[in-house]
Amino acid sequence: MHKLIHSNIGRLLFFGALGCLLFLAGNRVDELRVYQGATLAMFVVAISSIILLTGYSGQVSLGHGALLAIGGYSAVLARNYWSLPIWLCFAVAVLATAAAGSVLGTAAARLSGPYLAGTTLALAVGLPSIANQFSFLGGEQGLLFDVGAPPAFLGADFSPYKWYFWIASSAALIALWWLQNILRSRYGRTWRAVRGNEVAAELSGIHVGKAKTLAFTLSAGLAGLGGALLAMTIGTVSPSAFPLTLSFSLLTGAVLSGVTTLPGVMIGAVTLVATPEIANAISHRLGDSGAVTSNLPGLLVSALLILVVMLVPNGPVEQLRSIRTRRSVSTSR
Amino acid sequence: MIGTNRRKLLVASAVLVTGALTLSAIPAQAFSVRNEVGVTSNSIKLGITLPMTGAASPGYNKIPGAMKAYFDYVNANGGVNGRKITLVVKDDAYTPTASVQATNELILQDKVFAMVGALGTANNKAVAALVNPGRRGIPDLFVNTGFSGFADKKAYPTTFSLFPSYIMEAKIMSMYIKENFPGKKLGLLYQADDFGRDALAGFKTGGVTFDVTVPYAPLSQATPTTPPTWITKLQAGGAEVVVLFGVSSATAAALGAAYAMKYHPQWILGSVGGDATAIKLAGVPAPLFTGVQTASFLPAPADTTDEYVKLFQTINTKYNPGATFDNNILAGMNTAFVTVQAIAAAGKNLTRKGLITAIETKGSTFASAGLTPMAPTATSHAGYNGYWFGTYDGTATLKPNGGVYTVYTTDSGAGAVAKSTYKRPAMPVNGLPTN
Amino acid sequence: MFTFIDTLLIGLTSGAVYSLMAIALVLVWRSTRVVNFAQAGQALLSTYIGYECMGRFHSFWIALALAMILGAGVSALIEMLFMRTLFKRNTGPIAGVAPIIATLGLLGIIRGGIGIFMGGKETIIRPPLSNVGFTISGHTFALSPFKLVILSAVLIMMILLSLIFTKTNIGLALRASAYAPEIARLAGVKVDAIRTLGWAIAGAAGAAAGMLQTPNGTGALSPDSLEFSLLLVFGFIAAVIGGLESLVGAVIGGLLLGLVLAIVLMYVNATLLFMTAFVLLIVVLLVRPQGIMGKKAGRRA
Repeated sequence: MHKLIHSNIGRLLFFGALGCLLFLAGNRVDELRVYQGATLAMFVVAISSIILLTGYSGQVSLGHGALLAIGGYSAVLARNYWSLPIWLCFAVAVLATAAAGSVLGTAAARLSGPYLAGTTLALAVGLPSIANQFSFLGGEQGLLFDVGAPPAFLGADFSPYKWYFWIASSAALIALWWLQNILRSRYGRTWRAVRGNEVAAELSGIHVGKAKTLAFTLSAGLAGLGGALLAMTIGTVSPSAFPLTLSFSLLTGAVLSGVTTLPGVMIGAVTLVATPEIANAISHRLGDSGAVTSNLPGLLVSALLILVVMLVPNGPVEQLRSIRTRRSVSTSR
Repeated sequence: MIGTNRRKLLVASAVLVTGALTLSAIPAQAFSVRNEVGVTSNSIKLGITLPMTGAASPGYNKIPGAMKAYFDYVNANGGVNGRKITLVVKDDAYTPTASVQATNELILQDKVFAMVGALGTANNKAVAALVNPGRRGIPDLFVNTGFSGFADKKAYPTTFSLFPSYIMEAKIMSMYIKENFPGKKLGLLYQADDFGRDALAGFKTGGVTFDVTVPYAPLSQATPTTPPTWITKLQAGGAEVVVLFGVSSATAAALGAAYAMKYHPQWILGSVGGDATAIKLAGVPAPLFTGVQTASFLPAPADTTDEYVKLFQTINTKYNPGATFDNNILAGMNTAFVTVQAIAAAGKNLTRKGLITAIETKGSTFASAGLTPMAPTATSHAGYNGYWFGTYDGTATLKPNGGVYTVYTTDSGAGAVAKSTYKRPAMPVNGLPTN
Repeated sequence: MFTFIDTLLIGLTSGAVYSLMAIALVLVWRSTRVVNFAQAGQALLSTYIGYECMGRFHSFWIALALAMILGAGVSALIEMLFMRTLFKRNTGPIAGVAPIIATLGLLGIIRGGIGIFMGGKETIIRPPLSNVGFTISGHTFALSPFKLVILSAVLIMMILLSLIFTKTNIGLALRASAYAPEIARLAGVKVDAIRTLGWAIAGAAGAAAGMLQTPNGTGALSPDSLEFSLLLVFGFIAAVIGGLESLVGAVIGGLLLGLVLAIVLMYVNATLLFMTAFVLLIVVLLVRPQGIMGKKAGRRA
């Protein structure tokens, strides 16, 4: 059984089962939840890209929002100018962003810690404003992104939101499955070696620069997919759809998930989607004073962030694992 | 460890799948358009999204309070056709992603009857594209933006503009400048995005060429480097009349930097960046407003000889205590006022479609505080179409030039600008809707 | 001619503002190897404190001094309450990211808190000296008495702090605690207390940045202040350009950034502000990945 689970077939079955679950869940909940589900899937993809980059290869990016923007705009342009079917548009987004990522990655490989952080931060601030320079990028108002109506065979009453949910979930499942494979391969091991100690890795024959650039490229590809999904869920791309706060939110989600562990990615995504709503509910209970209602959600998210980082810095999943390890070690005495 | 987790999950999901399959006889929820959503026999629920927090919020975040105040006043006097109006407010911090999510919540969770006064061009575009009030038939009334595209009924079937478009504004400003400042050197500061480009197009149609044009990247007005460079450029170009077609924070930055460099041209503020409250909150002291001109289509907020201003001030004091009456409150209450007129015109059998038809057929006869006609028809969802010009004094109070509201009107296309002879119909008794 | 001089002046004076924030960020980095994103929030909080002091004491200078002292105190508190726990548990890959996230969270809390208590109120700080430029032969230059104050403040801080770091025992202890805390402990340095001191100094610098920058603009202060967010980003870019290891670098980075931005805005294209900052950063890092004043690979304190 163990061999089956750890094998590729086992993983495929697992994701397949997840897919069935999601399909059925999508049929049972109302439209708003389905829409949130699509947003959730988008965050899962985006956060996993950060887990790959930061958790596995140790590079810090403060500007993933810019990469999402590249993905989003690529998908929209592919759709509007070449009228490609949606799946191809997403593929274009992934490839374009990966290409950008490889360029960035080569530059990034030379930078350490805070210098890389500073560069990615500047990128996040500077890149979306390019849209205002060229009219074909739609300027501040952005471009419309129409993924098209659900196919006819699903019936005329099929909710577009559920369609988005299906697309987003499938994309997320495929991306996660692929990522999980990569992380368990020798590439993943190479990255973890680099993350642990660059000098030691170099000494044992790993080309550190190449490994880092590869991680950046793949992470960018994933981020591009996330950006395309984001564009789908809001039906447009514009500079204000990729603000600095998006980059910070993704980083937050990654930390909440446990930046080194992929299985925890749902936790981060759910928190990002759910917290604003919970915060709104709480502020409603406290009475609807203007200043409180507007500021409370941000306050709660930030407080949660600090608590998590201070108490469970490696993420809840890792924390559980280490508890289990300690227990099993102590009982085996 | 991981294997155990994985195995458990696999088993669990297998069980769930089997169980769910047996239950899957229940069909998926159908997507249906319901008409009387948000309406009961004694209540109507409306929704609004706008920036209540964030860099774009000063000034605008007073609007919901003002709207609620007017609705409370109407409710206290029996409501509309016996129904009381409530307004659900959602903050979107001016980001389109948040606007979409907020509108989704309003429509799917709060189940509002209609949207009213949603703010922001990109925001409304995103909302229209995705939530598609048009296809679902949800009225999106009196959006708070000057984008001319929203008047296009084919593209946005259930959206109604209220404010004049930026193109209209630029055209009217062109005529005003040509009439009042002939032969002077002209300067223009504009935001380098579609908002500013709309203005440029309007000025071109209006036949005005600027000697100095200074674009600025949105948000760059908040860096210490940028505003002084505007002034240096304008000064170097010798501009004597400068149009500021940006947002309030840019206006404030420009006025402050100009003061520091002793540059005193004739300023003309666009309507978006011309709100005294927002500019003052951004640090400009009242004396710096002296002589600055701006355009508006509503009566001046300090003009207590105007019957609407008088009424709205009273309502504000009673139902919205603590809020200083200014242009934002006036505009908010006016929007609420027109909305109530529309709901009243739709009759006792209140449906979304009925509301839209009512505005299209009777909208041009609605009473409102606006000093220009409102022009929604069955083929165009445009709102007001004109402006008058006024000058601020040293207390940042706006007074119409010559003491009289001289209104110019035009369209968003190539039509000419004309002095309007429009006489605003009298306010209905006590400012309550006429059924 | 005047235009060119004005452009240079604008570049230098606005660059000085970026340097102020950069100095605070470099201070935290040199003493604790953490990039403190909450610096903007702390500066904001300190500036609000300064505003309250101005209301009470009616003197900008007293308010500035108090803001710096209280800002140092707040910063020290933050270090003791939050960052110490973080450093203890900070192992593994999260090491680079966790402090950044934590300080981001702090930033959010500070903003939210200020928003709830002070939001919507008209908070304006007027400059103590005139902000109107000097007029020579009929032309008003982009340099005013207050801007001279800012330039002097930057230079004084740079010189003073550099001297402290390189020539005093405390400075040595600060550097040692950041670079090799275990060894420093063995040598008898109270690492925790020293770290707190480092944060306190940075807090004072940040408070100065906030108090000086606010009247430099239009004087308005708000919790959503875009000015402070951009100040953080540009200050960080300036610090990186200059090399995070050097206070002199922070000042050079800031002034260079200001000059380049001013020149581009005036003579090239007024809309390229953000792209220019990014391009400058990339260019500098491509040529010298450790920043202008940073020393090459190998450890440095």
